[in-house]
Amino acid sequence: MSAEPSCHTEPARPSGRTPRELEGALTIALVGRPNSGKSSLYNVLTGGDAHVGNYPGITVEILEGNVTLPSGAHAIVADLPGFYSVEATVDAATDEGIARAFLEAMKQSGRSLVVVQVLDPTRLALGLRLTAELLRAKLPLVVVLTHEDVLTREGHTVDVAALSDAIGAPVVLVNARDVSTKAVVLAAIEDHRREGSEAQGSGKLDAAGIARSVVKDVGSATELRRRRMTERLDSVLLHPLVGPVLFVGIMALLFAAVFLIADPASNLMDRLVGLARAWLANAFGKNLVTSFIADGLLGGAGTVLAFMPQIVILTVALELLEASGYLARGAFLVDRLLRLLGLSGRSFLPLLMGHACAVPAIAATRIVRDPRERLTTILVLPLMTCSARLPTYGLVLATFFGHRSALFRAFIFVGLYFAGILTALVASWVLRRTATKGKGLPLVLEIPSYRVPQPRVVLRKAGQAARRFLRDVGTVIVAVAAVLWVLLTVPMPGSTAAPGIERSVAASVGRAIEPATRPAGFDWRINVGLIGSFGAREVMVGTMGVIFGVENAADDPAPLTTRLREAKRPDGSPVYTTRTGLALLAFFVLACQCMSTIAAIKRETGSWRWPAFVMAYTYALAYVAAVLVYQVSAVFGIV
Amino acid sequence: MMLADAHDGLAVRITAIELEGEAAAWIGAVGLHEGEELVVLRRAVLGGPLHVRTGGGGEFAVAREVAGKIAVVKLDGSDAP
Repeated sequence: MSAEPSCHTEPARPSGRTPRELEGALTIALVGRPNSGKSSLYNVLTGGDAHVGNYPGITVEILEGNVTLPSGAHAIVADLPGFYSVEATVDAATDEGIARAFLEAMKQSGRSLVVVQVLDPTRLALGLRLTAELLRAKLPLVVVLTHEDVLTREGHTVDVAALSDAIGAPVVLVNARDVSTKAVVLAAIEDHRREGSEAQGSGKLDAAGIARSVVKDVGSATELRRRRMTERLDSVLLHPLVGPVLFVGIMALLFAAVFLIADPASNLMDRLVGLARAWLANAFGKNLVTSFIADGLLGGAGTVLAFMPQIVILTVALELLEASGYLARGAFLVDRLLRLLGLSGRSFLPLLMGHACAVPAIAATRIVRDPRERLTTILVLPLMTCSARLPTYGLVLATFFGHRSALFRAFIFVGLYFAGILTALVASWVLRRTATKGKGLPLVLEIPSYRVPQPRVVLRKAGQAARRFLRDVGTVIVAVAAVLWVLLTVPMPGSTAAPGIERSVAASVGRAIEPATRPAGFDWRINVGLIGSFGAREVMVGTMGVIFGVENAADDPAPLTTRLREAKRPDGSPVYTTRTGLALLAFFVLACQCMSTIAAIKRETGSWRWPAFVMAYTYALAYVAAVLVYQVSAVFGIV
Repeated sequence: MMLADAHDGLAVRITAIELEGEAAAWIGAVGLHEGEELVVLRRAVLGGPLHVRTGGGGEFAVAREVAGKIAVVKLDGSDAP
């Protein structure tokens, strides 16, 4: 069973290679500056194959894939994080630190290694500084210039032979989208391995001078148009006043679109699940088996499945923003605000990624060079509204605000995102004055060129998000739903409650903690849901689906939202009101109900102290906020 | 003159990085090193970072605190006030 909830990155498979294969295999280490085209080349070489490599001294995951060289020999391609330098002293936990540790470990192990530096020829002088460092480190080096298509469009040519002579290492120019790229790169690697690296350059390079001498401008109207377009876009998107307003607007539009576009699709899927349950009950009658399938599996996993469109659309939207080059510009805009709170623009990228999932976002904090800022970012990341919260948000909005317009619900939805962001910023401010106190490193961030996102890449990411979600619905949520169905069906020994679900093991446990949660308006059913979603918050909706499925098994199947709305106490008053819904939302905005996030924090901080701290402060905040919202909303006459 | 004082549109050359050793080395590796030519494109509001383009073709957001530690000279013919 997968331990990772729906929003997490595709986990890398453990390597299937045998130790014997490992011994003789050449390792091809892909290195380069961020945005140099390294990931594209990795995908071309390996076909997207990825598993976790095991390298001594490296505590973080380095993805690797297998390739066969032209000679038929086996090789491993290791995809290192993007970095600028192997010489400048850096924190070991940052991308530079990880890359340097990897290269040093490889040199010491004596394993056969070729370093392939991926270099963007449109920014050649910048990339050649890293080339010089790699040569000075005496690493066997092959330089791969990517973005040949962009270079041509911009009206430039590179004298590859002259560049190779100037730096003293083989150079190839490729277009990562071209099918011949793999063969060209692998042939260059094998040639270099055969010839040896003794004749390599010493690394004493005049990067700017070499770039000037080997890149020729052959003139291009396209390049002129591109520059003008970039300048026009930046003059608006980075305008001192218009830029920040547009930025907030784009973010709000993104989150609203996630809700508005996905809402009809979610409703349709919810209806299909309801029809399937009704068909089961009609076709096979009401018995223990159909109850398990209809109320347990379909009620649990089926209900969660209805929220897949929201998660896919969010993934696509974030990918479009990142691939277009806008995210780095967002960092430029918000840097000053983040500095006031003890962070910087570099923290912005992982914080925004956290809206898809905290786990890869926590790994992405390695781009933050300041250790204190990095730790602060990690500690507040669980407050960002990750996609696993969306099912609960959607359920509460549909249940208690279903009679209001879609725009109204979208407004609340966006408000929940901003509530998470605001809390994270306040938490950063507090942390930087207490637990992570100290002077920070100011921002220096590369701003990439605008690029049109590749539909193929965006679709692949969307497909991955959908597969991850389906996998988790099919494993974690189905398993939890099945266990819960049993706990809701088996009576608690010695219970004196009325026969039926009220006497079950789950109900007894939920009722035992009611005194603590009653001030927030939660009853035993919500308590059971909160316990079930302790490890993965998306389980909440499935849990509620199972509870109401089992509880109302004798009735005709109805959507979960209807059942929640119509649930009554013995005195006829509603069990759940709008106040309950708001309190539940407040709890879900703040609580870190995600074991994968906790594990990621442990991995990145190397201690259980910080994961425990995150659990403690987010749950304390969540409980207090839920009680406050429930109690204060009554003062305002909300029922 | 420090980079932080350069107005928008001004072309300058870096003459010194007045940061401590390792910070200067890293900024140099990123692309802001002695001798590099820059154009200040814009700056964010309320003391936010500068947006600069280097002669090497890169564009960077540089925090005002860092820009205050980068000594520059105006390039001949640049649009200085």
